[in-house]
Amino acid sequence: MAVSHHRGPTISRRSLLGLGGAVLGSAVLAGCTGNSTTPSTSGPLKGVASPKGSIRILDDNTNSVFKDSAIAAFEKSTGIKVEKYVQANFNDLHDQLATMFSAQDSSYDVVMTWAGWSAEFGQAGWLQEISRSALPADTIKPALDAVSWRGKVYGIPKFVSVQTMFWNKKLMAASDVDPSKGPQNWDEFLSAAKSMTKGDVYGYTCDMGNDAGVKQNFLRFLLLAGGDMYDSNYQPIFNDEHGELALTTMVELLHKYKVMNPASLQITNSSDLSSLFAGAGTGMVFNWPQQYAIATGKDSKLDAQTIGNGLIPGIKVRSASIDGSEGFAINKFSNNKDAALAWLKFAASQQVQTKIVQDEGWFPVSKKVLDDPASIRSLPVLKTYSQTLDYKTKRYGTPWSSEFSHDLAIQVDKAMNREISPKQALKAASDKAAQLSDKYLKG
Amino acid sequence: MSTFATPKAVRGGQERGDRNFRVLIILPAVSLIGLLMAYPMGYAVYLSLVRWNDKISPDHPFVGLDNYKQLIEDDEFRSALMTTLYISGPTVVLGVGLALGFALLLNRPFWGRTAGRVILLVPWAIPPVVAGIIWKLIFAGSGGAANFIARGLGLTDHNIQFLASSTSAIVILILVEVWKWTPFLALLFIAALQNVPGNLYKAALIDGAGPWKTFWRVTLPNIRGTVMFEVIIQSLFSIKVFDTIYILSGGSGGPAGSTTTINFLAYLVSFSRLERGYGAAMAISILILVLLVAGLWILLFSIPGRRPGAKAMRSARIGSHSHSGRDLA
Repeated sequence: MAVSHHRGPTISRRSLLGLGGAVLGSAVLAGCTGNSTTPSTSGPLKGVASPKGSIRILDDNTNSVFKDSAIAAFEKSTGIKVEKYVQANFNDLHDQLATMFSAQDSSYDVVMTWAGWSAEFGQAGWLQEISRSALPADTIKPALDAVSWRGKVYGIPKFVSVQTMFWNKKLMAASDVDPSKGPQNWDEFLSAAKSMTKGDVYGYTCDMGNDAGVKQNFLRFLLLAGGDMYDSNYQPIFNDEHGELALTTMVELLHKYKVMNPASLQITNSSDLSSLFAGAGTGMVFNWPQQYAIATGKDSKLDAQTIGNGLIPGIKVRSASIDGSEGFAINKFSNNKDAALAWLKFAASQQVQTKIVQDEGWFPVSKKVLDDPASIRSLPVLKTYSQTLDYKTKRYGTPWSSEFSHDLAIQVDKAMNREISPKQALKAASDKAAQLSDKYLKG
Repeated sequence: MSTFATPKAVRGGQERGDRNFRVLIILPAVSLIGLLMAYPMGYAVYLSLVRWNDKISPDHPFVGLDNYKQLIEDDEFRSALMTTLYISGPTVVLGVGLALGFALLLNRPFWGRTAGRVILLVPWAIPPVVAGIIWKLIFAGSGGAANFIARGLGLTDHNIQFLASSTSAIVILILVEVWKWTPFLALLFIAALQNVPGNLYKAALIDGAGPWKTFWRVTLPNIRGTVMFEVIIQSLFSIKVFDTIYILSGGSGGPAGSTTTINFLAYLVSFSRLERGYGAAMAISILILVLLVAGLWILLFSIPGRRPGAKAMRSARIGSHSHSGRDLA
């Protein structure tokens, strides 16, 4: 054995190597454990009588009622523990969900959804189909569009949202339209908008600052012009006289009549729009039900007496609107789908829906709560919602919603900036929509 | 074997042993770093060779280079590439130019120089998302500071929608990127300037060189390496820009797709459209582009005989005793 002439280290190589090996081995072992996913349930989920265990929920930041009271009530009534309830910004949630589902991650059992995502994630096989027998009996049927795709139900709605018109009665008093009734047709709307436009205060403002905003605003005007986006086979049909009328109307509101706030092209969410209206910065908006709560809130310059609410006046029809209902769905890779389904049902129950109406100003998914006089007393705009049920209310959620929104927004933006004509914009958007429909439905 | 081996043999054996041990000790760290880089990159390459869109089919067939062929034919990708070049060019020129200007200024002694250097760092210290939000508020269509100033100065009588027009949106994007990165680049220049030998400036002064000639013949050649480095990294930053676009455009790359660069398009394709194979091909193409751009700049800066003031630099280094100024001409 060779004799070392060097003074050896106080810690020997052998011991260091041994320690390093132990650390590496531990790391490898730790890496081997992780979320294990149970095999997905085949067939629509029906649920069980007394689910147990715990769940984790990923929601958007629309509602506070769940974390404020509903979770505690749910845990007490079912014994199921809600380990985690996270709220993310709606605009960022899609990518978060897509990443999670792509990784077959079971971190969250319940996720928030709406018409577009139910179609997209449902078609991708990432949401658990739910049996119709598991749905609450008094769920308002149109609300199911938010959680369904091609006949399959992927969730239960948590609130209904339909756009209605809100107006500032004080500003409208300057026009020849009765502020207590509001504009009943498009000519009255235009007349009121012109009278209300003074200085930096415009008669009408909307939120077209991003792809989703452009799509929903165009869809609304398309429906108001008597048009439709797709036929029964999801082939685009908006490139017609109705579509051209819709987009031309939008362009004229901005450039010809100058009653649309130019900032509409930069406003990216309905909350900013709501705040602008509540600050008396605009005369009329077409907005979601939360507008009422914000406009009667303590920071608002308006109150229940100075806000008007009614049906959106149509251009070629009496009225139409877009649907913004949201729901909860179950992650296909969840380890406790039965408990997740229990949460979905609880969120749609009369108890929670009453709070959603009274505390937050959204429309209920429960017919019993909708018909309850107490609901109408606490949320007068419910009357208008009941009227919207007589008219077309659509959202057209499809697996290609995100992609199409981007393409449509490019064309509509160009038309709004008068770089191309509405006809050219619609042709380009329609061609793209047809390609997407074929790609996703025919493969 | 003799217990008393020759000292040289023993030393050689122990040196090899020490070397092996050193390699072994750093192997876990290197392996981890390699894994963190190699695995994602390898997986991205694999993804780029398959067709993967769960909304269409759960199958992921191998398609070879089809995704790359699609890129070449894709108008949207070509448009995004042009947008990237429109943004990258001015960002590099302005960014590096301004950084050098600030560095020259802050390298001179003056009262408040330290405070100036600290203030210069503020844009770089602000997180990119926060910076994007700040600028979005500045250029808000109603109530933003930019409109307030423009109307106050009488430049306009109505609010300008800066972020609703393609041209102004791109200009603002370039402005924000230059604002964000100039402090970092200026810091590097300051460090480089402080390493320029002072006797070169003295020699230049003695030879009667003016400020511009001194800059061109003394300063610039001595910080050439830093200039090359900064041009490369600013090019890379501007090709990869994402957070600023996301915040300013509300996540859409608009208006009208005008701020959709290739990196942003790769994000839209991968996460919004869930086309993972095609998105991966796009990402790999961006990597290749970045390497090509870096290589091109290195080549340009390495061309012999094109270094400004090289001859003068050599004369000055030798310690020119000539006062004719010929060597600085």
